[in-house]
Amino acid sequence: MACLFALMLNETPHIEWPKEGPTRAPYRVMNDPEIYRLEMKRIFRGPTWHYLCLEAEIPEPQDFKTTFIGENPIIVARDADGTIHGMVNRCAHKGALLCIEPCGKKKEFACVYHAWTYNLKGDLTSVAFQRGLGGKGGMPPDFDVKNHGLEKIRVENFCGMIFGTFSDKVEDVETYLGPDQAAHVRRIFNRPVEVLGYYHQGLPNNWKLYMENSRDPYHATILHAFYATFKLNRLSMTGGVSLGKGGWHNLLYSAAERDTQKDNYEGKNLRSVIRDVGLDDSTFLDRMQEFDDGITVAIQSIYPTCNTQQIYNTLAIRQTVPQGVNRAELHWTCFGYKDDDEEVRRMRVMQANLIGPAGYVSMEDGSVGGYVQRGIAGANEDEAAVMEMGGKDIKPSPGVRATETALRGFWQAYRDLMGF
Amino acid sequence: MTDISDKVRSQIDDLNTRYIRAIDDDKLEDWPALFAERCLYKITTRENYDRNLPMSLMECTSRGMLNDRVTGYRRINIYEPQRYTHMISGRSITAIDATHYSCRESFMVVRTMINGEMSIFSTGIYHDKIVIGADGAQFEERVVVQESRRVDVLLVIPL
Repeated sequence: MACLFALMLNETPHIEWPKEGPTRAPYRVMNDPEIYRLEMKRIFRGPTWHYLCLEAEIPEPQDFKTTFIGENPIIVARDADGTIHGMVNRCAHKGALLCIEPCGKKKEFACVYHAWTYNLKGDLTSVAFQRGLGGKGGMPPDFDVKNHGLEKIRVENFCGMIFGTFSDKVEDVETYLGPDQAAHVRRIFNRPVEVLGYYHQGLPNNWKLYMENSRDPYHATILHAFYATFKLNRLSMTGGVSLGKGGWHNLLYSAAERDTQKDNYEGKNLRSVIRDVGLDDSTFLDRMQEFDDGITVAIQSIYPTCNTQQIYNTLAIRQTVPQGVNRAELHWTCFGYKDDDEEVRRMRVMQANLIGPAGYVSMEDGSVGGYVQRGIAGANEDEAAVMEMGGKDIKPSPGVRATETALRGFWQAYRDLMGF
Repeated sequence: MTDISDKVRSQIDDLNTRYIRAIDDDKLEDWPALFAERCLYKITTRENYDRNLPMSLMECTSRGMLNDRVTGYRRINIYEPQRYTHMISGRSITAIDATHYSCRESFMVVRTMINGEMSIFSTGIYHDKIVIGADGAQFEERVVVQESRRVDVLLVIPL
């Protein structure tokens, strides 16, 4: 069947998904360049929404920020009327990158190569020497700037998060997220935010390995010894997994300050509980309960490559940018609220010692994907990852965090979009 | 400002030498004592620094927090064995008062992994505030501004 499908479309690499379904992911999808090329088309140009930037980063007319959807360079710009536009950052003349800077303010975008110039909506407004020089040369008479604008994308502002899509079919962002995940975005973006800083982290692995990692509460307290050592987050805490759009999106949450069920970890010989490691100065962990629901750690995945993060009082968006079949870059945008006083802002800044590429908690996530990428090199075609923790189905897991249900949801969505 | 004595220059040079030896010789336990008890050690990127964005990659405001980073490196965090080689150059020294000096210098860190892979892991500028007391020089502040906005994989050893 898969073979027939491939012949029909003349583009689908033949892949035999294991009969166990979404509890398996063939290693080949992590290192096959043909599959990667197809992902760029079917997922990143498919019926999916992609986080582009925060509204707070482009507050004024003529503000812009550059980002990516898949490998496509994207410009998000606010025009003179205040409307936000999204377009591919690729000159319609020769394909050159139009806007080099990561952010700033511009009245128009002029290509450095031949000065083709576009307004903030992405329309071509002028072409250098269109009429030639002294009546000689120039573009043919039938050349119409209207036919040579930038490739435009749909954008939507949901609660201050700007999303973009190439698809004209995908539903609006709120419907795409579903009620539970939309509610969580509203919870985080409950009032105006301000950016506190950025991290950019190179990942030596396929983009999907980070997507698995951020959907995986099973690893969190095992790999990240800091959590378990200081009893900050253990699988035995109250918490669970909620899903959106049948498992495309999810939220991993935990809601207790300190674990009281000591017996669950101690005595199991897990490396992540290291006794007698005390902190000399734990003031960087000073924190406050700022959400009424009591949730202290919440990692949300919005399919395909966006995460929202609350780890205590550190708030961030993580965007995974694919850069080839075995490379990706993680872009962190850390923020607080505009009405934070200096004390609260300092608290968020000091807690940032937990997150980012040098974070006591987060640093291991940068390397573990590389261990998988190198581990699967040379694997047989039929070898696959196994994800049966917490069962074989895809359903919300209230109260239980030792589960891979959100990974199964990710792989089901992947198969639906890829036709595998 | 040219009237920095040779003795002060040599004390600042000695502090920087001990800093590099603590890190590059993997004697990180020697590193916190190079700082004053109340201090600032911060690693940030040019991107955040130039835009006055307060978030840093690492920020320690006491010698205790420096000790905790050493504990993280030795006992808590998971990473592949790796070592740094520091190169520093272009130091400027300005006197703040009789005992405090403001210094800037460029650094480059080559990271070597256990599998032999070597890379220029970080380059940038140290912005230091150094105090000279009876026992020699100590950092009151070392703000590491990395030129690249990107960190390859992870940063566990201080720069």
